[in-house]
Amino acid sequence: MSMALASCLVALVVLATIGAPISLAMIASAVVYLAIKGQDLGLAAEQIIQGLYDSFVLLAIPLFIVAANFMNAGTISDRLTQFCLALVGRMRGGLGHVNVVTSLIFAGMSGSAVADAVGIGKVSIDMMTKGNRYTPGYAAAITAATAVIGPIIPPSIPMVLYALVSDTSIGYLFLGGIVPGLLMTAVMLLLNSYYAHKNNVPLEEPIPLRELPKITFRALPALLMPVILLGGIYGGAVTPTEAAAVAAAYAFIVAAVFYRALSWSSIRTVLHESSRSTASVGLVIGSALIFNYIVASENIPAQVANALKGIEISPLLFLLCLNGLFLILGCLLDASTIILVIIPLFIPTLKALGIDLVHFGVVAVVNCMIGLITPPYGILLFVINATTGIPLRTIIADIWPWVWVLLVALLAMILMPDIVLFVPKMFGYTGK
Amino acid sequence: MTGLLGWLHERARDFASLMMAMMFLAFIIQIVFRYVLSFPLDWTLEACLTLWLWVVFWGSAFLLEDYDHVRFDVLYQTFGERGRRVLAFIYSAALVLAFAASLPATFRYVTFYKIKSSMTLGIRLDLVFSVYLVFAIAVILQYLLRCWRIVTGGPFEAPQFGIAPVTTEYEAPKP
Repeated sequence: MSMALASCLVALVVLATIGAPISLAMIASAVVYLAIKGQDLGLAAEQIIQGLYDSFVLLAIPLFIVAANFMNAGTISDRLTQFCLALVGRMRGGLGHVNVVTSLIFAGMSGSAVADAVGIGKVSIDMMTKGNRYTPGYAAAITAATAVIGPIIPPSIPMVLYALVSDTSIGYLFLGGIVPGLLMTAVMLLLNSYYAHKNNVPLEEPIPLRELPKITFRALPALLMPVILLGGIYGGAVTPTEAAAVAAAYAFIVAAVFYRALSWSSIRTVLHESSRSTASVGLVIGSALIFNYIVASENIPAQVANALKGIEISPLLFLLCLNGLFLILGCLLDASTIILVIIPLFIPTLKALGIDLVHFGVVAVVNCMIGLITPPYGILLFVINATTGIPLRTIIADIWPWVWVLLVALLAMILMPDIVLFVPKMFGYTGK
Repeated sequence: MTGLLGWLHERARDFASLMMAMMFLAFIIQIVFRYVLSFPLDWTLEACLTLWLWVVFWGSAFLLEDYDHVRFDVLYQTFGERGRRVLAFIYSAALVLAFAASLPATFRYVTFYKIKSSMTLGIRLDLVFSVYLVFAIAVILQYLLRCWRIVTGGPFEAPQFGIAPVTTEYEAPKP
């Protein structure tokens, strides 16, 4: 490691831990790197500008954000909750199941875990804690954990970022997320069921089955969103970025026309919020791209590949080690930084070991999303704490069982690549 | 923030929203022309990329509060008011220093592009990229202001633009 790189990393770690915004800290430490290297300080700006200006795939991100905000602005969360209540509310632990299933459906509309937690999280938590049926900690923990499914089921912002650094197809990554998303849903339903039986949670008043068609019909336009999105991409009709635009347009039409839930002022609020989220996400991506440049110019990925060549490590062991590393980093870093800066370090090694990059991508995204709920630095825990006022300590105390079951699901995906690759192969993915 | 500054900030926010809306519309136009009218346009893609660049840096310059940024403030929050003042001063000064040091070179980089125009819309690239300068200068001013507030004992953690943190819940209009 060169002197310049070492100083740059020290600057970054110090600035970030004393509370500077990570993206600004990254730009500042890139300037430190360039200064010590004696390079033009304008290179930092060049990398960040060109990185954002040249990446067509990144345009999907603001559009997914707009789509999610339109969905949240409408009465869609209420309708979906009603639908899930009618569907799974009658079982023991019904409201917990409702929470899981609503997240699964919502996951098909947004693409960001934070949007999911904010969108439906508060509704679900209020419902669960009413009448002391569930403790606030349990309600918050299950909401945080289920929001993790958001970016696994397409659309997915983290997968767009991974596609950018790894040159894999967004389409196959999206398809690869479907079964893992369902698997994660299944293990969480099991855990909730176990909890409900152990604590003898009282049964809900079941919604009569004859009302199911009506409730389904009311929720139908929202339920169709993932079908339209995936249909557009895999029907070969549109590119993933265009599909994101179609999704946003669809969300707008559903909220405005079908649910009549948009006024001029709420459209303005949606655009305000979307531009703010876009700026914040875009800045993180841009600054991570400078780091990407530094890492590449120091030739680190090749060095990593060379160092590992000597060790004769088996692909499976390497995958396991890498996942262990990401889990540890996930406790400290945010997901986009891991995907944009850390993952590219290992891409050459992954290729050399013959590890499938779509399989790895989905596993890595699942891993990073689990990082969103692992203390001390789990964004979803903070978001739920901020929106509901449930103390962080209470949430953290109840989050561990959820982390464990998700880790079991992750392990299954690592050991059995077909969990990920089964669907992409059905659609003509040939692998490697 | 009141008076002129508050008004300016409102307009900065509206401008960002307007760009967001235009990006969305440009995409829809592109899709309609390409798939419905079978008449692909080439300017829409470039318009979207330009707007995306502008929304990111314009928004980062004028819209983002501390809580909008991805921050690792677990350690920071464990300190008392005095300690946080010291830490905030250190990082604010460091950010000002780094951004100010790279500003001249950044200016040269951006203005160098006055000789080039974009592919289809023919907008001069120095204008397209100039938004980064706006962002860099805004960062310098914001963190200078924070340093000043820390030194003079002012409210250094107060929202800079006065936007409430979580506003993602909307009131649905009455049917």
